[in-house]
Amino acid sequence: MRSARRARLQGAGFDLALPYLLLAPSVLIVLAILIYPLWDGLRASTQFWRYGKPLNDIGLDNYLALWSDPQFINSLWVTVRFVTLSVAIETILGLALALFCLREFRGIRLLRTVLIVPMVITPVVVAIVFRLIYASDAGMLTAFSEALGGTPVQILGQPLRAFLALVALDVWEWTPLMFLILLAGLQSLPSEPFEAARVDGAGPWRTFVDHTLPMLRPVLAIAIVLRAIDAFGTFDQVFVLTRGGPGEATRLLSIYGYDTAFKFQQTGFAAAMFVTMGLIMLALALAAVRLLRRAGPS
Amino acid sequence: MSGFRSLRRPIGRRTVLQGGASLALATAFAGSSRIAEAAGGKVIIGAFADGGLTPFKEKIIPLAKTQGFDIQFLEDEYGVTLEKWFADAKNAAGQYDLYLLDDPWVPQFGAADLLEDLGAGGIDAGDSDWIKSLIDMGWWPPQEGPRVMGFESAKPKLICVPFVGDLQTLTYRNDVYTKGAPATWDELLEMGKAGVAAGKIKYPIVFRGVSGNPIVTSWYPIFLSFGGEFFDDKWKVAFNSAAGKAAADFFVGPLKQNAPPGVVEFDSDQEGAAILGGDAGAIIQYSGNALKADDPAQSKVVGKLDFGVVPKKEKAIAQIGIFIAGVPKSAPNKANAIAFLKWYVSAATQAKLAEAGSIPVKRTAFKVPKPGNRLIPVALKQLDSGALPRPRTPDWAKVEELLGIELNKALQAGSGGGAALDVAAQKVTEYLTQMGYYK
Repeated sequence: MRSARRARLQGAGFDLALPYLLLAPSVLIVLAILIYPLWDGLRASTQFWRYGKPLNDIGLDNYLALWSDPQFINSLWVTVRFVTLSVAIETILGLALALFCLREFRGIRLLRTVLIVPMVITPVVVAIVFRLIYASDAGMLTAFSEALGGTPVQILGQPLRAFLALVALDVWEWTPLMFLILLAGLQSLPSEPFEAARVDGAGPWRTFVDHTLPMLRPVLAIAIVLRAIDAFGTFDQVFVLTRGGPGEATRLLSIYGYDTAFKFQQTGFAAAMFVTMGLIMLALALAAVRLLRRAGPS
Repeated sequence: MSGFRSLRRPIGRRTVLQGGASLALATAFAGSSRIAEAAGGKVIIGAFADGGLTPFKEKIIPLAKTQGFDIQFLEDEYGVTLEKWFADAKNAAGQYDLYLLDDPWVPQFGAADLLEDLGAGGIDAGDSDWIKSLIDMGWWPPQEGPRVMGFESAKPKLICVPFVGDLQTLTYRNDVYTKGAPATWDELLEMGKAGVAAGKIKYPIVFRGVSGNPIVTSWYPIFLSFGGEFFDDKWKVAFNSAAGKAAADFFVGPLKQNAPPGVVEFDSDQEGAAILGGDAGAIIQYSGNALKADDPAQSKVVGKLDFGVVPKKEKAIAQIGIFIAGVPKSAPNKANAIAFLKWYVSAATQAKLAEAGSIPVKRTAFKVPKPGNRLIPVALKQLDSGALPRPRTPDWAKVEELLGIELNKALQAGSGGGAALDVAAQKVTEYLTQMGYYK
């Protein structure tokens, strides 16, 4: 009688605990690979590191030092310019392509597939290909120029051209993402307002400005935010193409942070830089969400 | 909840415990078999990809196998090896037994105390056959010269041993420089211009102009030959002296004007292509590309490239940039790695290395009757003529970066080398002050 009661109680307890026990490994894994590194990064950002070890706690000194470091300021400025320019171009091109591909005509499926190819190529490979295009000694552009009797084309050795070349690479690779998101958005728009506009005699431009754009705004905002966050962390292409040069013309925050952490071994300072970068991206995302809410359903 | 209930029967507590125990046992056995496998002659060598290691890979690794060493050679791109190995050593990951470091990394590993004391392991640093300037680079803190804060009174340990005695030498076109290696920079440019006029070459010189390590490496032998000194014995910046500024002005001015137009973006692959492709008349380089000079598969100018000591202004001094071997404290086959190094630096193996075409690190090996490459005797001549390592500080990478950015900007402009050094000097001083060098 007593043993039966005990077994019943144990059974009930086990039933209660089992879900938590089964969830525990996943929770532990999330804590280990997501929360702990975040916590460790935050902790490192408040320490002074030398020779791969934390020497002492310095509070927010690393964060303050960032704003008096001209290299950080320069990298932040380069990053902001890069993100703004590349995302703006990608949005315009992506929207134009999406509007074009919205129509059904012969070969459209193939065209849509071809248009997303750049996006699926590994960024490092894209950067190598573009390096082979831009290189002044044996690059494709130089070969064309020399074939036409011109001189070698200088791109990666000049600050503005190198920066624009990097933007061009990013636009080539990531316009397809904008295209894909915006095409999906356009395809999901209701047809009635467009039919009504047509009946009212609205032209294509009027329809686009008064109907397409307002209704597409939520999707557009999400696409821009996603792409901006991604562009903010661009690393591979710059690492292969210019390593941040010439001078500091293409040194994005990600490259400066990487150099600071691994080449210069200033772990605490680099951690502060990455936390700041994370906060900037978070602020961007929150601002976009707020904008989105303010825009409301049109 | 019903889902959990249905799961309970097939997977009972006993089953879970049994499964867990089996997994643990399997893991333990897997671990022990790895340890068993690691015993014997296995040595895992980490290296960055560089032509200077080709003779070692092709000739010495097979030779080591005949001596019972099971060499696993893991190569990576230069740019990622430092971080990879530092993380391996710091986290005691035990992925490597031996790192073939670039010599400026020795202070970083030394200051972090990540490498074995090879002197205590039985490697004789007192052997008079060592090239002194090379074995000196294996000590941390350095036995001679200024020491960084925190290591002023520390007892030096031999934490690395020279592996390939690489250093900069001049490679030149013998159909342009018909009287032999140009002795001075002026001679190099004048004869190079004549070579361009005669249609033999397109540019008298080629070098690396990419910001950071590449441009500083190219500028350094010019700086040294102009009589420049980088730091004084208190770590005060001295590179923006009159000699340093003259070297920088010469580098971004006359030298750039006689180099390919895109030299600002040139790294080692492009400068290698320019000299081996027949476009450039001369280059100061390490052995990686120089070893390819006589290989018809890699050079269009076989038989037209000769080697010499770097040109001089005041002196003819090159930069030493050796491969230097260190054993991480976390090495899984530490004893094997040290045994391998003892064998590798023995006179007999060094002679084989020289015969294979690599630059040895022991003096007698330079005298082998049949060195595997014409560069080897020239390398010894350069070592004896003058060759200096970069300053022995763990902060060299940052210093080089700050200087390299300013030099690169001046190179783009084609002028203002001296002013660039002043800006760099200020930035380097600020950085070293933050790091506590002047307290």
